[in-house]
Amino acid sequence: MEKVLSITSEELHRKMNSGEDILILDVRNETDYNDWKIEGKKVRSMNIPYFNFLEEDEQVYAGLPKDTEIVVVCAKGGASDYVAEMLMEKGYKTWSLKGGMLAWSQFYVPTTVYRDEKLKIIQINRLAKGCLSYAVISEGKGMIIDPNQKVDVYLDLAKQHHFKIEHVVDSHLHADHISGGLQLAEQTGATYYISSGEVKDTNLKFEPLDRHNRIRVGEIDVEVLAIPTPGHTPGSTSFLINNRFLMSGDTIFVGGLGRPDLGGKAKEWAMDLYDTVFNKLSNLPDDCLVLPAHYADIQEINDNGIVGATLGEIRGNNEIMRNADKESFTEQVAGAVSMEKPPNFEEIVAINRGELQVDAEKAIELEIGPNRCAVHHHG
Amino acid sequence: MTDIFVDAKGLACPMPIVRAKKAIDSLQSGQIMELHTTDKGSMNDLQAWVRQTNHELIEAKEDNGVFKFIVKKG
Repeated sequence: MEKVLSITSEELHRKMNSGEDILILDVRNETDYNDWKIEGKKVRSMNIPYFNFLEEDEQVYAGLPKDTEIVVVCAKGGASDYVAEMLMEKGYKTWSLKGGMLAWSQFYVPTTVYRDEKLKIIQINRLAKGCLSYAVISEGKGMIIDPNQKVDVYLDLAKQHHFKIEHVVDSHLHADHISGGLQLAEQTGATYYISSGEVKDTNLKFEPLDRHNRIRVGEIDVEVLAIPTPGHTPGSTSFLINNRFLMSGDTIFVGGLGRPDLGGKAKEWAMDLYDTVFNKLSNLPDDCLVLPAHYADIQEINDNGIVGATLGEIRGNNEIMRNADKESFTEQVAGAVSMEKPPNFEEIVAINRGELQVDAEKAIELEIGPNRCAVHHHG
Repeated sequence: MTDIFVDAKGLACPMPIVRAKKAIDSLQSGQIMELHTTDKGSMNDLQAWVRQTNHELIEAKEDNGVFKFIVKKG
C-alpha cells in the first residue's frame, strides 16, 4: 500500500499562494470547523468530518473533485492521514497536513514591508491567529515588536537578515496569545520592554516603556508613543519610525472599518480609531503606514502579503464617523465589551504577567482556537 | 447493562471513533456500548458522530482525565 503524502504548513501556504487549484478538506467536526479554519483568498475549503468516512457510503465522496489536489486537514494530523489514505485508495490526489491545525497555529510568515540602505521592516504574520509582529532592522541591530511564543522564528530571522536582537517590546499586555517577549530577550540578551502600567504588582523582569521617549536601533530612532485607547489597559503603546511607519499595536486596525459586515465590532473599533486618528495622531502625515498587531479578516492581507494601510486611507474610510452620534457609539462599545473573549484569556494574561508558568505543550494548547484576537482586542 | 466495552484510552484520533464504530456495528439495535477515551478531541467528536447516526448518546462525562461514553445502538 502506498503511504499518504504529508505536507507541512509552509508547503501548504506556498501552494495556497501559488495559484494552484487546491481544495482543503477539513475533517474535524462541524463545530470546530465553523469556529476556526484555514483560510486563503483563493482557497476552496470543505468540511466532511472524518467519522463520515467510516460509513461505507459513496455519497460521502460525491462532492470531492478527482482532478484537484485535496489537502486533508484535522486537529493534529491523525484523522487527516486516515482519511487521505482512504481517498488515495479511491484514486484522489491527496495530501495530509502534517500536525493538523495544531501545526498551522504555530506557522508564521515573514514579509518585508520596507527596505532602504538604513532601515528594513519585516512583518511576521501568524496566519492562524491573525497576529502580527515586527522586526525593525538597522545597521545589523534589531528590535522585535510583539513577538509571539515561538521565538525560534525571530532567532531564524535574525540569522537570515544578519542582525542582532537588542530590543524586544510588547505594545501592551496581550490577552489573546502568549507573548514570546521575555523568552526572546532572555535568549538573545536583549532588553525586554513593556509599559509598567501593564504589569504592575508582578515580579516580571522588564524595562518600563514609559521611561523611554525613543529607542535607538542602529541608525534609526523608534519613537515610543503612549496611546491609551478605550477598552484597553492604560499602558498601550505604539511605535513610530521617521513619521512614516506606525506600529500601532492594538490601537489602530487596518481593515473592516468601512465594512458593515463586521457589525457592532466595527463600530467599537471605529470609536477607538476615531479619537486616535483624528485627535492623537492628527499631526502624522497621510502617507504614514499603519502596521497593526492584529487583523480580523484575510481580506486585510494585501497583494504584497502585508497587512497595513496608510493613515490617509484610514482617515478617508472613517470620514463618515465624524458625523455619527457619539452616544450611540458608546452604547455599542459598552455592549461589545463583555462579549467574546479570546480562548483561555485569563491564563494567557497570567502567563504574560509572569504569574503563571506552563510547559511548552500546554502553552501551545492554550492558544489553540479561533482567531479572536482581532475581533476582540481588549487587553 | 453494557453489552460491549471499548477501551480506547491512550489512543489518538481517529482511533477512538474507529474502534467505537466497529464495536457498535457488532451490536443489535437497543444494545449498549461503553467507551473510554483519553484523547481530548474525542469528547466533541464522539458526540458529533452519534448525532448523525441513529444511535443514542446516553451519557458523556469526564472522570479524572478519562472520557466515558455510553451509547445505545439505534
